[in-house]
Amino acid sequence: MATAHMNMAGRLARLCLALAMAAAILSGRGAVAADFGGDVISERLFGTVDFLSDESYEQPTSNTKVADPIEPFNRAMFVVNDKFYIWVLDPVATGYSKVLPADIRMCIGNFFYNLGEPVRSVNCLLQGRFRDAGRTLGRFVINSIVGVFGLADPAGNEFSIAPRYASFGQTLWAWGIGDGFYLVVPLIGPSTLRDFPGAVVDGVAAATYTPPWSDNLYTAIAVQGLKTVNRVSLHLGEYQRVQAMSVDPYVAFRNGYYQMRNKQYERSDAAK
Amino acid sequence: MLPNKQLYQQINGSTRWKYGVPMRRNSAITPVLCACLLFLLVVLGSRSGVAAAPDPTEQLRPFLAKVTAALSDPGLKRMTKQQQCDRMIGVIRERFDFQEMSKRVLGQQWRNLADKEQQEFELLFTQLLQYAYVGKVDDYSGQQVQFIQQRIRGDRAEVQTQLVDRNKSIPISYIMLLRNDQWMVYDVVAEGVSLVRNYMEQFSEILRKDGYPGLVKQLKGKIAELEKNFNKS
Repeated sequence: MATAHMNMAGRLARLCLALAMAAAILSGRGAVAADFGGDVISERLFGTVDFLSDESYEQPTSNTKVADPIEPFNRAMFVVNDKFYIWVLDPVATGYSKVLPADIRMCIGNFFYNLGEPVRSVNCLLQGRFRDAGRTLGRFVINSIVGVFGLADPAGNEFSIAPRYASFGQTLWAWGIGDGFYLVVPLIGPSTLRDFPGAVVDGVAAATYTPPWSDNLYTAIAVQGLKTVNRVSLHLGEYQRVQAMSVDPYVAFRNGYYQMRNKQYERSDAAK
Repeated sequence: MLPNKQLYQQINGSTRWKYGVPMRRNSAITPVLCACLLFLLVVLGSRSGVAAAPDPTEQLRPFLAKVTAALSDPGLKRMTKQQQCDRMIGVIRERFDFQEMSKRVLGQQWRNLADKEQQEFELLFTQLLQYAYVGKVDDYSGQQVQFIQQRIRGDRAEVQTQLVDRNKSIPISYIMLLRNDQWMVYDVVAEGVSLVRNYMEQFSEILRKDGYPGLVKQLKGKIAELEKNFNKS
């Protein structure tokens, strides 16, 4: 009896894990960047993009374009992730969105985001963004207490402390470590040789203070799955829309990932 | 118009100079000079289009109001898909410069094209945008536009807005070029992602591999696919 129970739980957990990963990858646009809270990067590596200067519209250079030496592998993974999104993640998230109203799903999203705040705060410290580190920690305290375990965001709405982006990938960037090259991670999505390990470090760090879940691999995976399905459910249709309007979706997502991440890095750098 | 030492001395008499700068003395002629200078500045400024330029936000505001009004017009839903599309592109054209967009999306390659090819590309690119964005009238559910701030440099401007929904707000910037007193949009940046730069990278890879004919072929294929799904839905 106990074994059967565990088997089922295990299967469920595995399914959720897979879903979560797929969701992360597929939501491509918002999800990838938002999930790991990627943050500030500097002009040194990216070159600041100024839309008012014509240089932003010259042919992409190494400053504005990510190196992609393993493009054949990446393209294959892009197809895998695409299938996973279309066949698994999107249907599951669609069903989920029909069961839970958007308000509740947003609260669940807030809850997960809040759990990541201490990691973000530490990353801010490591990058020398002391004010952001304080603000992020303040958000965590306010939202955990007043916002009922982070389900609401009174820090942002009532105290006007806007969320700050920070991730370990960004910290590595701030320390002068380059991107390496573009990497499409199976079930996770667009990343780079630097930012993907960075995201793993952030995830492991967050697991250290979210005890009941980190004890058991399956539970951790299930939680990750819920997080992913929840996020995808708030962005349904976006992936398909980007796909539909792109002539070469692989390049469109690569470029979109890079532009969006650079923007986050620049914005947080400017706030220092 | 650096102060000319001799001229100054002639006009102001015994102006004393210190560090190469005239030490002003109150004289009846100074206000007159100031007035002349001011007049000159205004005249020169307006000619270069900077001082007298219209305000980009004030031009964008009524335009976006018109777009949202057209989108929420109940009559629009009764039209056929093709009519909806034509109606919206008519409104959009008023402040979107599709030629400038096409030019920028091809970057340096644009100059290598013959006039006819440039026109052909502009037509295809406009069609692609038309089906990909303009045709999505059903996606509009009463989102409101908030104006955040604007930046002007020379004849370029960026107007930052937020598209606000019940659940989320999406930052959208309009990049504009001043043309005959009209600020025309040539790029849209949503959540930090520039539409033009995104298509530019897609197109430049196709151009590198298959040349211009290959790009035209792919564009035509994409438009046909969008058109088919569009009329089906």
